[in-house]
Amino acid sequence: MSHTDPFQLEVLRHALTAIAEEMSFVVMRSARSPLLREAGDLSSALTDATGALVAQGRDIPVHLGVMSFTVGAFLGRVPAERLRPGDVWFTNLPELGGNHLPDVKAIHPIFAEGRLLGFAVSLAHWADIGGAWPGSYVAAATESFQEGLRLPPLRLFTADGPDAEKIAVIMHNVRGPAEREGDMLAQVAATAAAEQRLLALCATHGTGTVEAAMAALHDRSEAAMRAAIASLPQGEFTGEDFLDDDGPGGAPAAVRVRIAVGGDHATFDFSASDDALAGPLNTTPYVTAAAVYYAMKAIAGPEIQPNGGCYRPLTVITRPGSLLDPPATRPLVGGNHETSQRLVDAIFRAFAAAIPERLSAGGSTTAGLLIFGGAGRDGAWKTLYEPHGGGEGARHDRAGVASARVHLTNTNNTPTEIIEAEFPIRVIRHSLRRGSGGTGLHRGGEGAEREYEVLAPELSLTTMFERRVIPPWGLAGGGPGAPYRCDLHHPDGTTEELRGKANLMVRQGDRVVLATSGGGGYGEPD
Amino acid sequence: MAGWQVGIDIGGTFTDIVASLGAEFRTAKVPSRAADPVGSITAALAAIGLAPGDIGDLVHGTTRVTNAIVEGRLEPVTLLATEGFEDIVEIGRQSRKDLYRLEVPPKPAPLVPRERRIAVAERMAHDGEVLRPLEALEAAVDAALATGSRSIAIALLHSYANPAHEAMLAERLRGRVPYLSLSHQVNPEAREYERTVATVLNAAVMPLAAEYLAKLRAELPATTRLHVMHSAGGMASPEAAAARPLLMALSGPAAGVAAAAAVARETGEAAVLSFDMGGTTTDVALILDGRAEITADARLADQPLRQPMVAIESIGAGGGSIVQHGPGGVSVGPRSAGAEPGPACYGRGGTEPTVCDANAVLGYLNPRRKLGGTITLDAGRAAAVFAPLAERLGVPVVELALGVLRVADATMARALNKITVERGVDGRGATLLAFGGMGPMHAAGLAATYGMTRVLVPAASSAFSALGCVAAEMRYTQQRTLRLAGENFDAARLATARTALIDELAAPMLAQGIARAALAIEETALVRYRGQSYAVDVPLAGPATGAGLGAAFEERHRALFGFASGEAWEVLGLRIGISAPRASRIATPPPAAAPPVPTATDPCWFAPGAPLPTPRYERATLAPPHRIAGPAIIEDDWSTIVVPPGWVAAPDAAGHILMLREVT
Repeated sequence: MSHTDPFQLEVLRHALTAIAEEMSFVVMRSARSPLLREAGDLSSALTDATGALVAQGRDIPVHLGVMSFTVGAFLGRVPAERLRPGDVWFTNLPELGGNHLPDVKAIHPIFAEGRLLGFAVSLAHWADIGGAWPGSYVAAATESFQEGLRLPPLRLFTADGPDAEKIAVIMHNVRGPAEREGDMLAQVAATAAAEQRLLALCATHGTGTVEAAMAALHDRSEAAMRAAIASLPQGEFTGEDFLDDDGPGGAPAAVRVRIAVGGDHATFDFSASDDALAGPLNTTPYVTAAAVYYAMKAIAGPEIQPNGGCYRPLTVITRPGSLLDPPATRPLVGGNHETSQRLVDAIFRAFAAAIPERLSAGGSTTAGLLIFGGAGRDGAWKTLYEPHGGGEGARHDRAGVASARVHLTNTNNTPTEIIEAEFPIRVIRHSLRRGSGGTGLHRGGEGAEREYEVLAPELSLTTMFERRVIPPWGLAGGGPGAPYRCDLHHPDGTTEELRGKANLMVRQGDRVVLATSGGGGYGEPD
Repeated sequence: MAGWQVGIDIGGTFTDIVASLGAEFRTAKVPSRAADPVGSITAALAAIGLAPGDIGDLVHGTTRVTNAIVEGRLEPVTLLATEGFEDIVEIGRQSRKDLYRLEVPPKPAPLVPRERRIAVAERMAHDGEVLRPLEALEAAVDAALATGSRSIAIALLHSYANPAHEAMLAERLRGRVPYLSLSHQVNPEAREYERTVATVLNAAVMPLAAEYLAKLRAELPATTRLHVMHSAGGMASPEAAAARPLLMALSGPAAGVAAAAAVARETGEAAVLSFDMGGTTTDVALILDGRAEITADARLADQPLRQPMVAIESIGAGGGSIVQHGPGGVSVGPRSAGAEPGPACYGRGGTEPTVCDANAVLGYLNPRRKLGGTITLDAGRAAAVFAPLAERLGVPVVELALGVLRVADATMARALNKITVERGVDGRGATLLAFGGMGPMHAAGLAATYGMTRVLVPAASSAFSALGCVAAEMRYTQQRTLRLAGENFDAARLATARTALIDELAAPMLAQGIARAALAIEETALVRYRGQSYAVDVPLAGPATGAGLGAAFEERHRALFGFASGEAWEVLGLRIGISAPRASRIATPPPAAAPPVPTATDPCWFAPGAPLPTPRYERATLAPPHRIAGPAIIEDDWSTIVVPPGWVAAPDAAGHILMLREVT
């Protein structure tokens, strides 16, 4: 680094991270939808001029995978010569460095001294992006068009202001346009704040120094990732894991990985995974890369700073036409949080024989979603988006913990006292699922059971969970955890078991009981 | 000479005392006696020439409750919970703190093991309706007593809306178990996991707090009024603190912020960032118009506390933070040399380079002076521990030390950025108020890094938490979930809840003989658009109408978030703060106004290359209108203020030192 010393880099790392953090605060403070304001389903990043990620506002593994590639793919469609100071472009195309349609990215090129310095990227989960079902979450989708509006890169803002006509096209095709427009403006405000702060940083330290620091931060994360890889056993490892089904039904679908660790470089080849699926469990090569990044960090390098340099010593291969690199017309809204977790399971299972002491047994690797929709107590439409945790997998030195989120997901549940005050639902019981952890020297954690009674005449219900058919796996001789189970009890005494991906209506007096999976055990029981 | 207002902060290493009576002001610092807190207090009083009989009000900040929670020294608790929800204390909110560390359990072990969770057959609805009357009361009570616990927590679903069942259980248990903690009293708010944990933690520290306060009370003269500092930066009676000891969970840091808020009010600084840099951590807080931000979302040892607390951002970087060198850069903390062995320059066995050692290398610390009269600073030893790293990096030791300070400043600047931009404030226009052992040394550098131009080092900056105890008002705060719809607004229900909360909070003050007319009441409605999960604070002035409250909410929402939508709104809850004013002064009277004379001039480095001859001044000799231009060092027994080149230090009549950066 010509312009920096050993301290300058740390100083600028903090400053660049602070800019990305500030972007997230701006979105959370000024967005309109609760999903952004309170749940914080968003990410912010700065990249260099080539699109390589330099700093991330909060370390959300899936978003890191996505934003490391978004700008690079964007530049493949929109040459840098077309970019102007003051531009803000929007896109949500999964095949363009994306994950699923609701995650909309605002891309703001930043220029200093007349040249392109980098990009501010604000990713936000829009609460609706159109499509066949409110919330754009269609468990039964068989085409991407049912999942909502597909936005190729569009310049919605220039230095002269917003492009009202293009924005109107979008707002005419999503539910809750006023709220969506508010969210979009929050993303623009965040990238504008980042531009101002980054230019101030250049004024203080010199543009050349900032550019050199960006390059050095990539080198630093690359070195850390290389050290992490070098700490793994050398050679080839194969692992597989299975989705319960393809969405609409059918047999379990396989994700398979062949890992080659050679010195400080590793290749993750997922080519042997199944072909693209009919339902919304497909995902993208970028989500696949995010799963690899997460697994490497969890197994070998928790301290690695998230940026584009992490990916240099990693080769991630997906086969076009497979469920990890599907044709653009295939649906994929659930792949973002379900298939991504299968990938982590497959990678862990590949290493299970070689380094069991560095892993955890299989856990509740699913969002475990129940989405209730209907008129709330005040008559307005409401959606209860409820993720359920299960038992953590055991480790070589301890039992799994009960009712937890594992790997790529980390969302809170909704308190019973909030659900009952705001939705026509009563929670009858919320308890641990005794005995559901896998057997072993150390037992897997227990899942939970939650029973919901419908108080309104009618509510819509979407299920989106895995591990109902294929249970969480045991490690080093430990037993599997109990699988998910969801039962619908009717007032007339009849009961039906629900599938893991379903859209249905439930009625007054119906009771939905979700039992989440226990974690896999570790080691042969004594 | 009775009637002294005395503040005492007992920390792990030192006990700080501040006392004021009329225009007189005294302060001292003595070593803490770990096993004998009353002895620490007596020794501190002796150090300022006072006897217990001289004290009118004694306000005490303590880390006892904090340490018990952090170290897990908790009384075993039995929990009575609604049937079907006994496991809530273990299920939690299911998210984990560390995303990547598989070896770390995703959440702390449950505070109550399964065999001490007792199911109660009952059920309330969110609006207080009884869905299932309390059945088998005696069986539940007997089961709870059979566990043998001294502390019992009762946390039933929706008890904030209707506490009747909790009260019925409490009535049967009172007198049969020494410590009872009820969720509708500890935290009358929705969210069952957080309320349950707060109630259990409160039960778990009740014996310790009650016994400590009783001992203190017994050893002080009957004429002394005893108070404790609570986490929201006010003081509480010992009775209130014994019933709700969780109030004291952040007693120490809150006292410092309370002092900072008092100084901000006194000096008229509109926006202040308090900067408390100690040995291991740095705490920063935002103070607007003399009031520190209050939050109910603070956590301790990963557990939700749900008590109104000063909003403090704490980072793992302090004077004892160890300098590390990883691939590509030098970083500071979070590993710390702590109080033992401390930085290498303390000469007590520290062998790794720390932030404090960097200050020693640069010449800021006076080698002829004993820190607190006991510790001699050894810059040579500091340079020696930096030498290997400097060699590896190929830079002179001085350059390395300057780099370490830049990195430390960048780390702390990020915390300042966080607490301001989260609230939509541009912190660059604020004044940095520095205290704690290391704060005054780093303040100017941090301010320059963050783009600020004003630093205030207050009087008594090294005994600042004790000062906060003297400056704090007697103040109780509580908030309660209400859920009142904006349309057909039920003003009567709001008024009833308001009166009940005011009566509850005023009771301990009236019991201490304070006249009702002297109490100041601060009311805040927590209002939101329907569908939002978190509410906006809307100040109230007395009983409110629906129309008035709606308009005030929209105005506040627009100010905070840039828009107001006119959608349906609701009052989620009500927060009341009641305070009684204090008659204490917080500042030292100015010394005689003679021009200051340096005690010495030493070489100090502020940039690579040559050192600058830098005069040292004794802090006690500074007074207006004499200003000191940097480079200069201002010192007393406990702290060192660094005035870098480009800064001017201006002492004021109250003993504070304002430092201003000349912006070129």
